[in-house]
Amino acid sequence: MIDRKLNPPIVDVDEIRFLTPKIDSIQDETPFYSLLNNGSNAVKLDLYFSAGTIINSPILSAVTAGLLFSGSDTKTSSEIHNEIDDLGGFFDVNVSHQFAVLSLYSLNDQLLQLLHVAMDALQNVSFPDHEVTEFINDRKQKLKVSFEKVNYLGQRELQKRLFAGTTYGKTPELDDFDGVNGDDIRTFYKENYQKGLTKVCLVGNLSESDTMAILALLGTWQKKETYAIAPMHFNPEKGKFHVEKAGALQTGIRIGKMMFDKHHPDYHGFNVMNTIFGDYFGSRLMKNIREDKGYTYGIGSMLAEIYQNGYFAVMTQVGKEFVEPTLDEIKKEMAIMRDELVSDEELSMVRNYLMGQSLKAADGPFAMMDLFIQVETANLDYAFYNRAIHVLKTITPEEIKALAQKYLVWDDMVVITAGTAT
Amino acid sequence: MIQFERFELKNGLKVIFHKDLTTPMAVVNTLYDVGARDESEAQTGFAHLFEHLMFGGSINIPAFDSPLQNAGGESNAFTSNDITNYYNVLPAQNIETALWLESDRMLSLAFSEKSLEVQRSVVVEEFKQNYLNQPYGDVWLELRPLAYEVHPYKWATIGKEIKHIEDAKLDDVKAFFKKYYNPANAILCIAGNFELDYIKTIVDRWFGEIPKQKKPARILPVEPKQTTFRIKRLERDVPADCFYYAFKMAERKSAEYYIADVLSDELAKEKSSKLYLRLKKELQLVTELNTYILGSIDEGLFVITGKVSPDKTLEELDEVIWQVLEDYKSAPISDDELKRLKLKIRTSREFQEQGLLNKAMNLCFFELLGDANGVNEEAQIYQTIESAHLFELAQTILVKENCSLLQIKRLQK
Repeated sequence: MIDRKLNPPIVDVDEIRFLTPKIDSIQDETPFYSLLNNGSNAVKLDLYFSAGTIINSPILSAVTAGLLFSGSDTKTSSEIHNEIDDLGGFFDVNVSHQFAVLSLYSLNDQLLQLLHVAMDALQNVSFPDHEVTEFINDRKQKLKVSFEKVNYLGQRELQKRLFAGTTYGKTPELDDFDGVNGDDIRTFYKENYQKGLTKVCLVGNLSESDTMAILALLGTWQKKETYAIAPMHFNPEKGKFHVEKAGALQTGIRIGKMMFDKHHPDYHGFNVMNTIFGDYFGSRLMKNIREDKGYTYGIGSMLAEIYQNGYFAVMTQVGKEFVEPTLDEIKKEMAIMRDELVSDEELSMVRNYLMGQSLKAADGPFAMMDLFIQVETANLDYAFYNRAIHVLKTITPEEIKALAQKYLVWDDMVVITAGTAT
Repeated sequence: MIQFERFELKNGLKVIFHKDLTTPMAVVNTLYDVGARDESEAQTGFAHLFEHLMFGGSINIPAFDSPLQNAGGESNAFTSNDITNYYNVLPAQNIETALWLESDRMLSLAFSEKSLEVQRSVVVEEFKQNYLNQPYGDVWLELRPLAYEVHPYKWATIGKEIKHIEDAKLDDVKAFFKKYYNPANAILCIAGNFELDYIKTIVDRWFGEIPKQKKPARILPVEPKQTTFRIKRLERDVPADCFYYAFKMAERKSAEYYIADVLSDELAKEKSSKLYLRLKKELQLVTELNTYILGSIDEGLFVITGKVSPDKTLEELDEVIWQVLEDYKSAPISDDELKRLKLKIRTSREFQEQGLLNKAMNLCFFELLGDANGVNEEAQIYQTIESAHLFELAQTILVKENCSLLQIKRLQK
């Protein structure tokens, strides 16, 4: 008979293998990273352009990214989409603070042709007026829908208060779209796409000749002109702010403060501390506010990165009658993190959990490329992850408490509620 | 192609093993053959509420998640109208911890009042968050009872109303467990870099002693054939008018299901598709347009949905959409169009097969449908579809008397 009360023995994860992509360059300059996904016929190619939301204005950046395949002098947008579909291809465009990333997805033997279609569409894009108008109308309608969501309103207000006075603090208003015209888009495109191809990543099983052909094709892109993004200084407007949303059944809550990026000496330790506090299913916030009180469907905290900086945020959406009790409990949990030592049992669980999650994050070539790009973008290398593992394995309860005392201070927080004030 | 082995325990538990040499992780996926369609109309939302309770501790183990996290793993679950599916992803060397936890909650739950009370409240907040407190959130609460008259698909997984969840009692929980949570009503899939013999040994070690019980019979009311057009119009405080044209379509196991799937891709999913070109690019009637199928096991729905442009009306849209569908039905699509649809399906499948968890879930689901190998055969079925199949199916299902239309009209302020 087995003893069902006893946990089968746990074997620690002691090693994670980080694979470095093969590094080539386009025109001896722009890095081209590739990883083989052996045995698979799926291929993904990512083109990174320095055309993110902090480059000029978030709206201009988003609109340009959304119109990359909107048509050229010789092809309509529908013709371009037809060509992509003919190759069984897919694409998406993601815009972050720093980059706009165009990703192409296809079967291995279709990628070269798909890239031809994409390059032709990009190099000749003319941003036809009717496409711009149509896209802006669509976006305005989507934004109107977002304005009805308390989570969106809360996040938006947090960004306004944390990043007050900087480009990050510019959150979109409906009127902002009316100010965008074709000329602005064309200029933005010229400056930040044509001169802005920063890196390219490939995960797939391409033949050597296909890879060379892709490199050659990318070599026809204009050379990158480097420029510096001016460093930003943040002066958050601390305190409590409310966004009224009449009739809301729930309230979106955001609590945040400015933090730091991957280069900061406290980065890894803070991540361990934050995991215990609010960043996994078994976290203090989840255990208390969801699993004990039932105030919410979910609550979490995170360390979010922005360009050369970062911020901490607690996020949740709770029944409107639970707003004050929830804020009290979050405050209480911060105090416990500051005042009490984490038990060995809890710390050991979080260690094991985070090691397992790191192992998973490094599982497979697509995941590995993501991990690589995260450190590459921050001008770091895999030593960063080894350092993270070292800190995870050696951090003490005292150090965690000290980090909480340094960073989880209620009076330093921006507190946002979005919903109906009761 | 997803390779797998299959075996069954004496208590009726079906087990599928997928060997993946490339990963250091393991997946333990358990599908229970119970969903919202098995609920009584007076007690909806129960299958989903029950899913929450499955994390509240089992007979020998006080909490589900802590030991799994301690083993470096993570767990979650989902409930649909058809099934309830639980999954654990963890480092392969600790797979027994997942089997220990998963088998103990199949053996028996802890049934605590506190857990029920808390999870009732959590699910009520989930109800508000996803269905009531966001624009268009209640669409499926309204569309289901319009499209289905008697089949339990007429209520959503979350439940018909909050009160049903608030009223759930511990005795109901116990009865539900007893009826549906047993080995004969479950399919287990294990994926990772293991040997079959080892998997057989450890699965038997943890699940073998769970008593055998009869698989509950399922007799569901059969939805009568729809013969008249149905329409419901709601007025809501939303930013844009919105529409859902829901056409009845074949059940999951039918060959027609696959044809309908391709038809939905063809009609409006892509920016090169017919409906998209006409309604959006030419006429600018809509700001968003999509088509999809529900993928339900019993008779399903083929949905055309979108939002109307600010200067256009639901009436204008309605007039044109029927006209466009008539035009569409007048001629079969070309071979080139069909070829590219199939190529896109191949690309999507290739990406779906990248994930270990995805593979495990699919193997369980197809085993439930009758044969786990269906996941591999499916690729072949798609490739045999001909233009004439799409043409014929469009004539049959894309007709007014087979349609339920939900319109959400913006309240004029």
